[in-house]
Amino acid sequence: MNLMDVNPDWAWAAYEPSTNSPWNLDAVAHLFRRGGFGAPRKRLVESVENVPAEVVESLFSAEEPEAFQREMQTLIRAAIATGNVRQLAAQWVYRMLHTPAPLKEKMTLFWHGHFATSDEKVGDVRLMQTQNNLLRKYALGDFKALTLEISRDPAMLLYLDSATNRKSHPNENYAREIMELFCLGEGMYTEQDIQELARCFTGWEIKRERYRFNRYQHDSGTKTVLGVRGVESGEEAIGVVTEHPAAPRFLARKLFQFFVMDEPGPTDELLVPITRQLSDDRMNIGPTVQRILGSNLFFSPLARARKVRSPVELGVGFLRTFEGTTDFFQLAGAMYQLGQGLYQPPSVKGWDGGRTWINSSTLLGRANLIQRVLNGNKTRFGKQSLNEYFEANGVDSVEDIAEILEISLFAVPIPRPAIERVKALVTASEGSNWVNLAVHAFCTLPEFQVA
Amino acid sequence: MEFELRSRSVEKKMTRRSLLGHTGQGASLLTFGVTAPGVLCDAATLATEQRILVVVEMAGGNDGLNTVVPIRDEIYRKARPNLAISSDDALSINDALGLHPSMRGMADLLEDGKLSIVQGVGYENPNRSHFESMDIWHSCQRKTEQRQNGWIGRYLESAQLSHLSDPPALHLGKRQQPLALMSRDVRVPSIQSLEQFRLRAAKSPDLRDAIRALSSQSRAGASDLLGFVQASSRNAMDASERMESAGVQYKPSEAYPETTLGRELETIAKLIASGLETRVYYVRIDGFDTHANQPGAHSVLLRSVSDAVGTLVRDVNAQGDGDRLLVMCFSEFGRRVAENASDGTDHGAAGPVLLAGNGVKAGVVGEHPRLDDLQSGDLKHRIDFRQVYTAILQQWLKCDASSVLGAVYDPVAVFSRS
Repeated sequence: MNLMDVNPDWAWAAYEPSTNSPWNLDAVAHLFRRGGFGAPRKRLVESVENVPAEVVESLFSAEEPEAFQREMQTLIRAAIATGNVRQLAAQWVYRMLHTPAPLKEKMTLFWHGHFATSDEKVGDVRLMQTQNNLLRKYALGDFKALTLEISRDPAMLLYLDSATNRKSHPNENYAREIMELFCLGEGMYTEQDIQELARCFTGWEIKRERYRFNRYQHDSGTKTVLGVRGVESGEEAIGVVTEHPAAPRFLARKLFQFFVMDEPGPTDELLVPITRQLSDDRMNIGPTVQRILGSNLFFSPLARARKVRSPVELGVGFLRTFEGTTDFFQLAGAMYQLGQGLYQPPSVKGWDGGRTWINSSTLLGRANLIQRVLNGNKTRFGKQSLNEYFEANGVDSVEDIAEILEISLFAVPIPRPAIERVKALVTASEGSNWVNLAVHAFCTLPEFQVA
Repeated sequence: MEFELRSRSVEKKMTRRSLLGHTGQGASLLTFGVTAPGVLCDAATLATEQRILVVVEMAGGNDGLNTVVPIRDEIYRKARPNLAISSDDALSINDALGLHPSMRGMADLLEDGKLSIVQGVGYENPNRSHFESMDIWHSCQRKTEQRQNGWIGRYLESAQLSHLSDPPALHLGKRQQPLALMSRDVRVPSIQSLEQFRLRAAKSPDLRDAIRALSSQSRAGASDLLGFVQASSRNAMDASERMESAGVQYKPSEAYPETTLGRELETIAKLIASGLETRVYYVRIDGFDTHANQPGAHSVLLRSVSDAVGTLVRDVNAQGDGDRLLVMCFSEFGRRVAENASDGTDHGAAGPVLLAGNGVKAGVVGEHPRLDDLQSGDLKHRIDFRQVYTAILQQWLKCDASSVLGAVYDPVAVFSRS
């Protein structure tokens, strides 16, 4: 089957298990990887007893209990007090790993890459976290409201120079990016639209780390944005941009790439049903994400192993699958080295993902990340060493390790020759922590890089 | 595996010879366009001279007007009441032009006859989006075309450098790989430091060999994506091995600036000195998007580029490889002529490209863009950036530029010899 031949109506219809894509442990593991950061084997075994739609629904209904939220508040305060962005990143990695609502964190990560803002320019971890809270609040919610709030978010205002946007010289930076990168895509607007839109945003400033409107710096003259005449305020202008017909298609494409596959890119035709849904839901994101994660196409072989693990997915996924915990500060640093620094995306375009995660240096870095985690003295799996954890789960040979990795972590089978070769490595190493060695070797295989 | 690789390179050589036999000078191959096989690149010359290109990407849109300053221009002063560089401060190039005062390193290169300033470089219908314009510079293609590879990637493909035992190109930096280096067949490693080319596997020295062997086996039903990761894994293991043995002996002839760019260029000097056969090195320095409070930031950035490039050129000369080195500094666009109200400048169009090395024709190439003839407030280009690429590909890397760029462009006269 080829993506070009897929019928859009079938693609986005509710998943019906078939011989081609049965509802089994692989399917459940796929759902948990894409809709979160993976899950331990016992969770997969429980879930496969349920019907698919209910398991998908459980991702959406999951919430962080109050105690967990309080714990996170404490960690956030402590991280902000250090003023160190890496500490803030460590706190978020912790949350992704321990949250009972991983889809919400996954979507927060999606928005972080979408409304990409970097502390490297903002230089204020408190403002970075304020933005992060905003992204989480609207993670599966109203895109129009999120866009309005992000447009007044102090970190964003600083990042795209909107904070110095004056009547006499409107700053075009935010006006351009809100159309090109946040809502519509390149080519859906003119240079004239950018200039007019920038005028709408004049007078949007920051005072004492908060947004405020300075009417003396606002250009209240007549503006025409995207063919709509008489747009006055920035608020109205955001309404015009987010209600433009290109917006639902633009977001549908991004969600497709994030949840379903890196490549090839879908045709507009394939996206029609979910584009229409976004539009019918007035850009409320949740129902469309639920439709995607519960669809025929999502569970079909076409979508399996078609995403390159991002560094965050790689690190958090590995630990979450084996109920692990580690030195989060170091892990956040490793993710940064591999190209995905949290609170530090490389540019306003966010992370391109897919093949761009992969090159010689990152592949070696990914292998080294797993090795560091495995051998870190703060690393525990279910409060034990990995050997003990595996023993408790009935894993006591290289074959068993391959099997448990394959079920929960790998999207494609581990090739037989790889298992033989790892056995040989283990034999040659004469017993010194063979579990770590075998896991490290398997996680250095090309197969491990795709999810 | 070893055997398979070898037989493939023999096949390539034969193809090359037989094709050359048919086409003589190869002029008729121009019609092959971008996907032309690499038979036109003069691999023999490259093998003897091993010329190197170092690309410094100045990301964000460098303000060309305050880089190469029209010191006597009244329009310039009027358009920039706060930002204009005074003729007293500028480092004189000639009567009409001066370099930004922080560009001492470049000024010294100019004096040594090792800097060529190409004026007013851009392209038709300039796009003022960073990403669009950068992608245009990287790929030489507009958005409407399929952009899957970059001009350097296509050069690497056509130059048939598979006989090299080292990566044909290297990207230094933590950011994602530039589109310019992408190609279907040649994968370019990215590194942040040489340390990152070590596979940590204290207890198992055989892991690298194992992964290399396992990555080389074909998988039934593997997707393109997995195939790509396999090829990249193999490449990673190879590169790791070479890097470990490279660059043990090198000592810089002078201290590099303590900046990220300085450290990256020092790493490049080390790799060159250690005899690595890599042909193209790519680095990037970000921050040129000076919408606000430009003077301080721009000054730091230009100094950073200027000092680091100056040191690299001198150091590589001291190591005896000066004649092999060419450095190109470019940005995706210049900035608007008129300053904005935030002591900054907004996205513009044409800007200068700086070329440094022993082989360049020193001085100013092309005329300074006119300030009394603008397009939407921006400078018009007089030299297409592909004319600069053509000169580099044809006269420096000895390669048929039109097969890499997809069309024939007049090379800019930037080399004193070729």
